Amino acid sequence: MKSHTTRAFIALAIGGVLTLAAFLGAFFWAGVPDFGFVRTAERTDSVRYQGPFDQEIDEARYLANFAGYDVEVVAGGETVRGDLVEADETHVTIETADGEVTVSAAEFETGRVRGSSYGRPDWGQKIFYFHVPVAEISFIVFGFAAFYSIRFIMTRRREYDIKARVSMEVTLMFVTLTMATGILWTKAAWGVWWDWEPRLTTYFIMTLLVVAYFVLRNSVEDEERRAMYAAVFSILGFIDAPISFFITRLIPSNHPVIERGGLEPPMLVSFIVAQIGMIALGYAIYQLRMGEMLLQDRIESAKTQLER
Amino acid sequence: MASSSMRQFRAMLRKDIVMELRTKEMLMSMGLYSLLTMVVYFVALSQAGAGFDPRDIAAGLLWLAFIFTSMLGLNRSLVHEKDQGCLEALLLSPVDRPVIFFAKAIGNLIFLLVVEALTIPVFAFLFLQGQSVDVSTVALIPLVLVAGSVGIAGVGTLLATMSVNTTGKDFVLAMLFIPLMYPLLLGAVTATAAAIIGGPEGMSLFWTGMAWVVGYDVIMLLASYGLYEFIVGA
Amino acid sequence: MGDEQRSVNALEVRELTRAFGVRKALDAVSFDLPPRAFLSIFGPNGAGKTTLVKVLTTLLNPTSGSAKVLGLDVVSDAVEMRKRIGLISHNPLLYPDLTAEENLLFFSEMYGIEDPQGRVAELLEAVELDHRKLDLTRTFSRGMLQRLSIARALLHRPEVLFLDEPYSGLDPHAMDILDGLIAQIRDEHTFVMISHDLDKGLELCSHALILARGKIVMFEPREAIDEPVFRETYRSTVGMGVA
Repeated sequence: MKSHTTRAFIALAIGGVLTLAAFLGAFFWAGVPDFGFVRTAERTDSVRYQGPFDQEIDEARYLANFAGYDVEVVAGGETVRGDLVEADETHVTIETADGEVTVSAAEFETGRVRGSSYGRPDWGQKIFYFHVPVAEISFIVFGFAAFYSIRFIMTRRREYDIKARVSMEVTLMFVTLTMATGILWTKAAWGVWWDWEPRLTTYFIMTLLVVAYFVLRNSVEDEERRAMYAAVFSILGFIDAPISFFITRLIPSNHPVIERGGLEPPMLVSFIVAQIGMIALGYAIYQLRMGEMLLQDRIESAKTQLER
Repeated sequence: MASSSMRQFRAMLRKDIVMELRTKEMLMSMGLYSLLTMVVYFVALSQAGAGFDPRDIAAGLLWLAFIFTSMLGLNRSLVHEKDQGCLEALLLSPVDRPVIFFAKAIGNLIFLLVVEALTIPVFAFLFLQGQSVDVSTVALIPLVLVAGSVGIAGVGTLLATMSVNTTGKDFVLAMLFIPLMYPLLLGAVTATAAAIIGGPEGMSLFWTGMAWVVGYDVIMLLASYGLYEFIVGA
Repeated sequence: MGDEQRSVNALEVRELTRAFGVRKALDAVSFDLPPRAFLSIFGPNGAGKTTLVKVLTTLLNPTSGSAKVLGLDVVSDAVEMRKRIGLISHNPLLYPDLTAEENLLFFSEMYGIEDPQGRVAELLEAVELDHRKLDLTRTFSRGMLQRLSIARALLHRPEVLFLDEPYSGLDPHAMDILDGLIAQIRDEHTFVMISHDLDKGLELCSHALILARGKIVMFEPREAIDEPVFRETYRSTVGMGVA
């Protein structure tokens, strides 16, 4: 018993420190990635300067988006340079040093737009350091639950049932956290709270499977039968989850995928530290619950002893 | 051993069919339930407007009816065994546990297919009149029906064997059944919808959907078959 | 059934334990029962009587220890054993939507009985249900169901019969018929009966066993039983509650 609590607190301390460190790293060291590009004629403060940009335009109407930019237009063999006033299908108006010049679209040969490129900082991405480790761990712990369930079916020993159940509790916790952070991220990145997108859908199904596991447990009276049913269901669920994951690819997805080597070192280090920290936290919760369960068993057996 | 298992299997299947033909309990309740679902569909679609094409959601509606009706039937089929402790009598006899699984699952599959075969024409009559469909591709729908029903009956028999021993049978079955059935349902709806839409693109989607359903059947039926012994003996 | 098997004890239970976690339904139960004996098992609710019978009928596996029925191990020889045991429970274990005959024919198939028609007709006659064989068992009275249930249990000529409170819910007439049937087959079968009824149980048995909290409190052959002491012991266990 003592060992469970001791292990839990050691894991809690390590996990807490690592997770905190990872989050500090994520916010102050890893930097903020850019989310799309903003091109402006003039510098703006809320965005990050990326450098100048210089773009060729081959039709007059395409200039319409660049009112206020520094442009250089070649029309009828002549070059006009200045700030763009307006542009449409018929003509282009440019404010040059010598006053406004209007070029008809028919004469337009080629144009050049110059300005500055800026990155919009994607603060929503910070959720990545929490969301992804938590999601990965939830799969791992689900795997443990299935593993202990198989052990239980093979041995019919109650300790494996307890282990499977506690693993499932930890899974439920991590799945809930993944869903919650996922929903926040969806809103930040895609502008909607929910989207029936493959990963989200799979996750939703997995949440339901984990919830169903506990519904099943709560509705079986006999202790051993409950253990057996729960074990069988968690195995079925563990087989079902990956099928759900792959089949949902029938629906087109826009969920981001991390590419190999796609993370800069500060990001990668923060991410890995967060992952280790959260594994430690999950382990701490597991050990705490295990300790509690064993304590309950001891009370139970003490009661039986007293009755005799 | 194999021949005695076959004899037991036939006896169990015949018993289920005789009992069903006598009481018509499952077929009646499932058939009427699917009819009631049609009424609910009509109400649900009543405000959809004139521009709405029922073919777009026909596949989804059909499988929705099948999944809910099947849960009703699955529960019934196991309650029969449980009622007077007959399952215990079966377990006491020298019968291999998988034989019980296969006999119950095949019985459920037959009843399910009968109800589905009755539901489809009614559905088409009520919702798809005057809609043009490609007959050559629609003729493939029975394939999806059989493949999908095999999965429903197989996994469903295992889950119903569990849920029949729980408090709150129906709810527990639904809670276990629908998340587990999600991949099969998605594959089946995809394939059915593709068959209704038709065309070469529809055909390739149809076979993709079919492949998923069959793959799901193989994996989940193997798992159910392997795990049934533990459930029925617990 | 050779000569060597005849000499084998009908039941051999060794340190049989059935536990889940700290709770022990059966706690190191050991006893032997000679062939063609009649064992009555007494005990309060939750004493482990039903668990013991379930282990002996292969419906549950022991957690530790072993049990042999007719020399066959309940785990490793389960399939072989099932062909040689029968169970009569307070539950009829019959399909209400099948006729009496169909029920018996169905179970004949499960046991792989040769000439099922003949065997079923013979048994229906024995339990005096010949005239109702084409009626659904749904329409049967409790007594008739119990008789049919006995016929079902005897279909495959089992050598050991387990009776799980067979008298519960029977009217006096049905009890008499059941008594008569048991008396008829008493000599060539081994019986194991769970009972709440001390008088009935003692009247029939050749051996008596009192179980409480999964442990044997008393196991004696009938002739060694001092009835007042036995009754007192039984009464004291009833107050002990559930283990």
